[in-house]
Amino acid sequence: MNRIAIVMLLCISLVLAPGYSVANPGGNGDADRDYSCGGSCHGDPSLSMQSDAKIEISLGNEAFYGQAVAVHVTVSEVSSPTNIFGIFILSSLNGNSDTPEDYGWHMIQDPNGGSSNYIEMTMPSSGTITATWVMLTPEDLGSHILYAEIHHGSYGGEKAFSGVSEGFEVIVNEVPEGLPGISSDWVAPSFRVSGDDSPLHISTRNSTDISVEWMLEGEWDPISAPVQCISESGEEICNEWEVNIPATMGEIDIVYRITTFNGTFSIEQPWLKMGTAAPPFEGDIWSARAHSFAFALLVISILVTLQGRLSPVIQREEIDQTKIVDKSSLIRSDDNPGWLWNPVAEEWVEDPEYREEVE
Amino acid sequence: MVGSATLHTAMAEIVVGSMVLATICAIGCLASRILTPSEINSESLFITMDRASLAGSSLALLFLPVAIMTGNLAAEGHAESALLYNKFVYSGLALGFWSAFVIGRYRMGPGLWDVRQLAILQAATAVSAFLMTSMASSIGGKLVRGESLFDILPFWLPSDSAAILPLWASSSLLLLGLISTFFVFRLTLPRIQEID
Repeated sequence: MNRIAIVMLLCISLVLAPGYSVANPGGNGDADRDYSCGGSCHGDPSLSMQSDAKIEISLGNEAFYGQAVAVHVTVSEVSSPTNIFGIFILSSLNGNSDTPEDYGWHMIQDPNGGSSNYIEMTMPSSGTITATWVMLTPEDLGSHILYAEIHHGSYGGEKAFSGVSEGFEVIVNEVPEGLPGISSDWVAPSFRVSGDDSPLHISTRNSTDISVEWMLEGEWDPISAPVQCISESGEEICNEWEVNIPATMGEIDIVYRITTFNGTFSIEQPWLKMGTAAPPFEGDIWSARAHSFAFALLVISILVTLQGRLSPVIQREEIDQTKIVDKSSLIRSDDNPGWLWNPVAEEWVEDPEYREEVE
Repeated sequence: MVGSATLHTAMAEIVVGSMVLATICAIGCLASRILTPSEINSESLFITMDRASLAGSSLALLFLPVAIMTGNLAAEGHAESALLYNKFVYSGLALGFWSAFVIGRYRMGPGLWDVRQLAILQAATAVSAFLMTSMASSIGGKLVRGESLFDILPFWLPSDSAAILPLWASSSLLLLGLISTFFVFRLTLPRIQEID
């Protein structure tokens, strides 16, 4: 009776266990996503809860038409924090076509070095996280609204939390003609391969000169990088540049800031980040397949050999030669007790029956 | 039309489910022969576990090549990361261990559990096969969801870095495997007989 009860309890526990597991605790990865991922668990009222986190948006610099602007999203006071945090920068809360790029913004860099409106970050022990998007402002002058949304779970994993900020108004101002800035086609590289010291390509507009300062993330003293124009137009304006920033190794991030010049204009762009990636994996699919089947065959060979070595049937056959003796035409001789004459091989062999009789 | 990645997940789930049953029953068989007979540790329980382990491992062995093939298709001809490369290698190891487990049990019969050394070898083979299959599945979780149940364990077999062999070395190793398997199947396997 007790055994049946234990089995029943075990079965019920196993059936109920999946209901308590969490859906995507590892996150979904950085990508361009609409408000609430277009109806994910975080947007489902039956599965989600309102996050009590404080979400604030601020600008790093004044927004001018066609210029880069740093948008800071600060999340704090989260009462049920998890390790991973998803943060969106959005231009509407419609649930579709919500990304800033849908509203004319151009993404230069997201907080993780990529160019997505949704990113995932690890919550630091301080409980406050600041994510910075660097974007070019839309071509339309005037008011533009940005929202920040957060998605997170909890240590218990019972609910998917969601929170959204108030709309933040960005006024895009008109700029004097010829103001230098970053090209609307250019996207900042998110990383360089470890050890790669090839020059960094930068596209600008209306610039006669640029300067680039760089430093390792966490340092405070920037260093000027050598810059050269690679435009072949021969005019005073140069919009294609190469910058030599030293190679990095390991997991080091470099931050750099571009300043664009044109006559009396000198425009400092927001700080950008560039990570260091491991060298590309050079494994070949056919090598992996051959490697895999080679291991399979070698394991079979080794284990079957071991089974053969340990098998008592083989050992018995090696020792017991009675059947061989019985089936052969060996001749017993009274002159040589204990020995049999093999007329084929022409040699004396031991008589197992005689040995048994003596014993 | 079902995508190869979906089909691969379904096949992998069948393999993992079957092999969990096979592994638990194989360990149970070993325990049954080590422990003294009792009301719980009965002969009928032993026979059930032995047959269940054979059925589970046979099913796993049947579906493992399908899982590997659909996984190959899902990889779309790229071994683009150390994780994926290691998934191939661990799948091969799992296939090897499961094959050896089924061959051993099929050739020697249930009597193999009565020979202590063979019983230990057979249970160790099942546990190794379980570990290799779990690793391959776990890497699948890492690739798709960015996490795995193995993350919470204090130990972890190497998977983030791979010992990449050039194609000629892998091919040579495969040739060596084929030759050794040929000789083992030709010379050793016929000598392994059912244990009474």
